[in-house]
Amino acid sequence: MLKIKNLHVSVEDQEILKGLDLEIGPGELHAVMGPNGSGKSTLGYTLAGREDYEITSGSIEFDGEDLGEMEPDERAAAGLFLAFQYPVEIPGVNNAYFLRAALNAQRKARGESEVDGVEFLKMVRESLKGLDMDESLLKRAVNEGFSGGEKKRNEITQMAVLQPRLAILDETDSGLDIDALKLVAEGINRLRDGQRSFLVITHYQRLLDYLSPDHVHVLSDGQIVESGGPELAHRLEEQGYAHLERASA
Amino acid sequence: MSALAQTLMPEAQACADDYEATRKVGLQRLMQHGFPDQKTEAWKYTPLRVLEQRETQTEPRTMGEPAALPAWPVAGTLLHFDHGILQCDPGELAEGLTLMPADPKALEQRDFDALYGGREGAFSWLNLARFDHAWHLQVSGEHTVIMATTTTDAFSADVHPRIRIEVLPGARLTLLQDQTDAGQGLVNMNCEIDVAEGAQVEHVLCCKNHESVWVQRTDVDIHKAAEYRVVAFDRGGRLTRHDLTMRLREGTAHGEIDGLVVMDGHQHVDWHTEIVHCTGHTNSREAFRMLAGGTSVGVFNGRIHIFPDADDSHSDLNTANLLLSDQARVNIKPELEIYSEEVTASHGATIGQLDDRSLFYMRSRGLSEAESLALLKYGFAAEPLMQIQTPAIRDWALEQLKEAL
Ligand SMILES: Nc1ncnc2c1ncn2[C@@H]1O[C@H](COP(=O)(O)OP(=O)(O)OP(=O)(O)O)[C@@H](O)[C@H]1O
Ligand SMILES: [Mg+2]
Repeated sequence: MLKIKNLHVSVEDQEILKGLDLEIGPGELHAVMGPNGSGKSTLGYTLAGREDYEITSGSIEFDGEDLGEMEPDERAAAGLFLAFQYPVEIPGVNNAYFLRAALNAQRKARGESEVDGVEFLKMVRESLKGLDMDESLLKRAVNEGFSGGEKKRNEITQMAVLQPRLAILDETDSGLDIDALKLVAEGINRLRDGQRSFLVITHYQRLLDYLSPDHVHVLSDGQIVESGGPELAHRLEEQGYAHLERASA
Repeated sequence: MSALAQTLMPEAQACADDYEATRKVGLQRLMQHGFPDQKTEAWKYTPLRVLEQRETQTEPRTMGEPAALPAWPVAGTLLHFDHGILQCDPGELAEGLTLMPADPKALEQRDFDALYGGREGAFSWLNLARFDHAWHLQVSGEHTVIMATTTTDAFSADVHPRIRIEVLPGARLTLLQDQTDAGQGLVNMNCEIDVAEGAQVEHVLCCKNHESVWVQRTDVDIHKAAEYRVVAFDRGGRLTRHDLTMRLREGTAHGEIDGLVVMDGHQHVDWHTEIVHCTGHTNSREAFRMLAGGTSVGVFNGRIHIFPDADDSHSDLNTANLLLSDQARVNIKPELEIYSEEVTASHGATIGQLDDRSLFYMRSRGLSEAESLALLKYGFAAEPLMQIQTPAIRDWALEQLKEAL
């Protein structure tokens, strides 16, 4: 599904990703951990197609297509979704309206019929209920004045409605209380169907306990330096990243 | 005498009618003060070159058929100023609305010097000297009035419509003012609104101007326990200037201004608003937004003036502005003049550009760049229009906004 080969990415002429390799198959859930500033969010933004994130060498293939050649909205329509580490507030734009417009834009791009208001509301209500989220958030402006946890849950609501083929979740667990973390994990698990893939960026093994990832990777200084199974997350939780820094020093 | 005075005051004397004494005052002050130039503080960012270069005709006025009128979202009594002339039969108004010529004696007794000042008020003096009719509308009971102002392609004159709207005690008025133009003339309009004790006015001012020059002055007086709310939705024009002054005359008067200007191309839009707390226990707020694209220039000067002893007055002024292109400019100036201590007054002003992060966020959800931009602009611009209380007018205005973006 996703094949990243020797990826080098620069932001404002500064190289952040320095030869990253990663392959995610259909239905797999991969976790990426790593110290602050190692390039995890940069990877997410690059995959989603943020401007100024320049791929200087290497390649990203998504379902056999060169992702680097696609606009952000084309990537979304192709089934890629990024849950932002810091979801953006958009004053004056109604949350429900935005999500429905996004869903229909994607469907239109794929040549599917648009979803009407009633059908849409049914979809959103269901995912809101699962996340124990108040429906009033739909009536407010996108993320405006949302608490940290509400913003994260709003990202998951969007994911549930948009039904991406590959979801990248950038620290969606940070800032969630214990109950919300469980609900979000359940929300993710509900979407796992053997086809849909996930790239979960996190600092904590707690979320991974709920998700049971197929692979865990450690990103350090722009490269994947170690990969393993769920046990790797447990080891990192105990030992931290100090040994990596020593290794790279 | 300046070139502008030559074109706009060719006969250099006031016409002889019931209003002769008033016109003489207007003419005399205009001669004395002259027209503003860029040294005139209140006109610093709004040069009158476009007007100076034009030959407006004073007489005769070519009019022909009046301009076609759009459909409005609410039913109401129509006051249609076509080429500055009110097309209305005073006898046919709904009960509770009385339209008559202004009382000449009452006009003579007004202290216009205090209202219009010197050179900065030149167009108001000009209006006083040159108005065709001075109308006076009285409103009692509950009414919706649509005041439309139009011109046609053949328009090349300068016209000076004048109306005073007196909302009697306890009355409720919804005033939808809708103005547009064609041709290349000058519309120099003067509107006074008096909101008597306990009366309520919702005023929606929509303008979509083109090549004609618009100068418009609106003076609002709000009395005891009266409320006045105006939402201005201005879609720009070649050269437009609005002076909107709201005076809170008596305790418990309440006034609000919300404004939205959407401009593009080489439009120039200048808004000068002033909120005057003449006495204590008065409340006001103002929020004004401009979206400037192309090479357009926007000017916003928002002044809050609180008189000495106007204790327990509260006012808040906020302006936010978006530049949509590198060449667009906005000149923003909030001014607080506060001579009383027991008051709260605050202001905030921002000028920014569309946020790249928001744009990326929206595109990452599947919206195209164009859709995302339109939605972002809409999100910014819709806010002032949301303050319109009458749902049908609000929806109509929001619909027009979508078209404009
Ligand atoms: N616009 C930019 N200009 C320069 N450096 C940048 C820019 N954006 C990100 N960086 C740098 O790139 C590095 C990687 O940032 P990134 O956000 O990808 O880290 P991260 O692994 O997600 O960290 P965290 O765990 O704190 O979220 C950091 O050192 C950061 O300062
Ligand atoms: Mg990060």
